[in-house]
This record gives sequence, C-alpha cells and structure tokens, in this order.
Amino acid sequence: MEPHEFKLTEEGIRAVLPPLEAEIMEYMWKVRVATAGEVYESIKGRHPEMRRSTVSILMNRLCERGLLERRVEKGRGGMRYVYTITATREEFEQKVVESILDALMNNFKEATFAYLSKIKK
Amino acid sequence: MLMLGLIVLLQMLVILRYFGRAGAEVIGGSILALTLVYLWISTHSLKEGHIKLDQKEMPWLYESIARMAKKAGIRMPNVYLLDDYIPNAYSFRNSIVLSMGLFEVLEKDEILGVAAHELGHIKNRDTLLFPLVVYARYLMILLMAVALLLSHSLFAKVISIMFYAMYEIERVNFFNDREFQADETALSLLDRPLSLKEALEELKYYEDLRAHVKESALPGIEPSIERKQKKGIMDTHPTYDERILRIIFAVEGASIRNILK
Repeated sequence: MEPHEFKLTEEGIRAVLPPLEAEIMEYMWKVRVATAGEVYESIKGRHPEMRRSTVSILMNRLCERGLLERRVEKGRGGMRYVYTITATREEFEQKVVESILDALMNNFKEATFAYLSKIKK
Repeated sequence: MLMLGLIVLLQMLVILRYFGRAGAEVIGGSILALTLVYLWISTHSLKEGHIKLDQKEMPWLYESIARMAKKAGIRMPNVYLLDDYIPNAYSFRNSIVLSMGLFEVLEKDEILGVAAHELGHIKNRDTLLFPLVVYARYLMILLMAVALLLSHSLFAKVISIMFYAMYEIERVNFFNDREFQADETALSLLDRPLSLKEALEELKYYEDLRAHVKESALPGIEPSIERKQKKGIMDTHPTYDERILRIIFAVEGASIRNILK
C-alpha cells in the first residue's frame, strides 16, 4: 500500500496514483465494496471511451498495490469478483504522509527538521 | 493429421532400420512412458481454483452451453469456472474452462462466443487430437535424440532431423487450422455469430493494454494502443486479427449468399 512516487504538480491522491486509478479509488472509498462492472458504470459517463477491460486491469493493479482486495462471491447472476478497500482514505493519506516524511528524514534529515520546526512556529 | 502420423511412422521406421530389436524396444518403451505421463496428467489436470458450474449458479450460461452442445450434436460438457482474473478459456476431453476474468471484461453473449469456440474444439475432437499431437512431438524428439546420439549412420541422423523439422512445421499448421475450424464451428452454433468477433476484439484490447500498461503512462496509452502483429513462425495459435478477419468474411459471406438465394 506504500506509495513509491510523489508528483509535486498533481493534487490530492493523484500525486501518488495515476489519474484513472485515483478516480477508481475515490469511488471505492465511497462504496467500500464493488464489482469491476459497477466501477465501470460509475465512471463511463466521464470517460465514454473507457472499456471494461481497462477498469478490470486497473482494479487488479490496485490489488497488486495493496489498495484493494479481490474475492469470489456468489451473487445475483452467478459468481463474480468483488473488490474491497484495504484501508480507508484517511488511513491511506496518513500512510502517504508517513512514507514521504520517512523518505525526507532518511535523505535530508537536517533540512527536514529545520523546515518542520519553522512551520511549527 | 494424416501427414503428422505419416512423419512419426517414417521416423519409427528409421529407428527400426538402424537399431533393429533395440530400436523397437526404444519405441515401445517411449510410447508406454508417454502414455503413462499422459494418463497421470489427464487425471490431475484440474488445478486448484476450478469450480464446477452448477445449473442453478448461472442458468443463462449453463442453458446456453447446453443448447449449443445439442446443436453441435455433442453431449453437455462439464463447465468449470477458473478463479483467475485474467480472461482465458480452454477445453480438455469433454470439459470447458472459463476464467472468471472473462466475466469481468466481456458481455454475456461474448462469453457465449468464447464458450462456442471451446465447444467447437470438443465437436471437432481437438481435445482428443491435441494431446496426441503434443505427445507424438515428444516421441519425435526422443527418437531424433536416439538417432543423433547412438547411430553411426550420417543418413539416419540427417533424415531424423529432417523428419523432426517437418513434424514441427506440420504441427504448427495443424494447430492453426484447428483454431480456425473451432471458430467456424462456433459461428454455426451461435445465435449471434458476430459475438465471437466482438469477444476476440475485447480480448485483443485487454492483452494489448495489459502488456503496454506502464506505471505513469496509463491515461494516455489507451487511444494509441495497437497490437504489433509480430506472429512467430512457430506460433501454434493464429493472431486475433487473423481470426477476426476470417469471422468477418464467414459472416458477411453467409449474408451475401442468403441475399442471392
């Protein structure tokens, strides 16, 4: 679940996730549990060119990143994959901040301390 | 298939000619060992994650496959769902395996298109022939190795390499042809034949996207996706594009014939 890069020019979770993955996570944090089909339905209005394959690949990549979990569920219409979030948005954001500060402390300890004490004042 | 059988037979004759009784024992022993391997694998071929489809579970799928099987004149196959998010399908003996990933990326009638292709393999007896061709290939490799390592005759060595090369070329052609034939059979089983074409288009898109997706390139990569048609000469499967093109010709050709009647 730990982010590996931070884009200074992007806003919100787009700074640590590619835009479409960020959009999927925004939806998943709202509903907590969903199928890829439901996610597809929710975002295809904003992305008419979007295909089911794209959503499926991205959701499975989010599983590999540890942000989602996939399980088989027997539901209406038969068996299907259901995805759930592994952490709330707040937990994820906290992890992002921790990771970035850890990286800064490891690489630029004095400068980070100096800046943190400056903004604390 | 006849040509493949003939090549194997000729290779056996070479071994018999140059090794006599010992050659016969090598051939017999190899066939016995390969048969045992085949039997062991075929009884252990269902990996973990295969869930046998119950009619009540997905009646639309079960009943549609039953209807297509009846139309094909074969008995209802066992249908398994595979717990794998990557879309995939295959058949063995009288069974069809559909991965759960198919249900995530394809519409219902496209899934039936994929199932019809696998039914085509069963109807055309490919599920029996394919293992035979694969194990005969192992036999050819064994017999060629025997000729190369143990024979003192240059002719036996050269002809064995030649027979093996011929077998490989014929094997690739055979598998490619059978894929096209399974598609043709599927078209005759489907209520909406173009659903197979649409399924192949989506699967092609999926494979392309999955192969090209890079961490930072995601949003921009979609419109420029185009599969590089680099088919290896020894690929046993035709490309998606080749299959899609043939389906279009078959379906359009049938429409034109109907108009002309």
